[in-house]
Amino acid sequence: MALINGCELPDDLFYFLEGNQMSWVRFEGEEAVIGLTDPAQTRAGKIVVIRVKSEGASRPRGKPLATIESGKWAGAVLAPLTGVVVKPNEELASHPELINTDPYGKGWIVRVKMSNPEEKASLLSGQRAMERYRELIGRDGIKCLRCQQ
Amino acid sequence: MAEVEGKKLLIVMTTGPEDPEKTYAPFYTAALSAAMEVDTSMYFLMHAPKLLKTGFAEQVKLKKGGTLMQFIRMALEGGVRFYACEESLRSLCDIDPADVIDGVKVVGSSTLVDLSLDSDTVLSF
Repeated sequence: MALINGCELPDDLFYFLEGNQMSWVRFEGEEAVIGLTDPAQTRAGKIVVIRVKSEGASRPRGKPLATIESGKWAGAVLAPLTGVVVKPNEELASHPELINTDPYGKGWIVRVKMSNPEEKASLLSGQRAMERYRELIGRDGIKCLRCQQ
Repeated sequence: MAEVEGKKLLIVMTTGPEDPEKTYAPFYTAALSAAMEVDTSMYFLMHAPKLLKTGFAEQVKLKKGGTLMQFIRMALEGGVRFYACEESLRSLCDIDPADVIDGVKVVGSSTLVDLSLDSDTVLSF
């Protein structure tokens, strides 16, 4: 686990870092579990509403998988990989703050069946991911705090 | 999530700096709408184009924290199209059309008519 300015970044995940996106991906067979990283949830602030695409929705890479609303940010969580939604995290409908308090655990957003596994190569991991995060966290002045209930 | 992709939303903005706390929510709504894959445009007329003058929105501090510019940037980065009424800019706001932030298209009132008739819904703030 890397720690950059208080932001936790697990070593064993893959990261989608394009445009304003800062999401993580964990591969489980042909499926990918996707969520927001610690710096992403910090930047967004306390999340009050999330709407996730329904099971069966087909999403090309770069198209929205979910929309997120906090007091200071509204935007999309874009698909890091082309695929079909297998399961949205239904607990987030009543507890969106799980993204803030447990971004890599109970705050996962959606599970997707990949259509094009070769796209995995476009994600960052390991040292390259950490270097990019160090740049972005420094540039945007992000200091991670896990907000409590 | 309701199926709203491909629909068109026009947000008409007339509120300007006279009521700064009323200015950020339209940009927030526009950014969210674009994130929902709704084709989203904002049209600024009357006093609203003052918000788009270069360097202005950075000075508007919001009670909730942050500046108006953060919300404007969020909408622009999300793909919302901005249109400013040229006549309002010149006559009411005393702003040269060249002195608005990047990403704003300066147009005539006929564009407001076109956008309104072409949209599924028009919101006015």
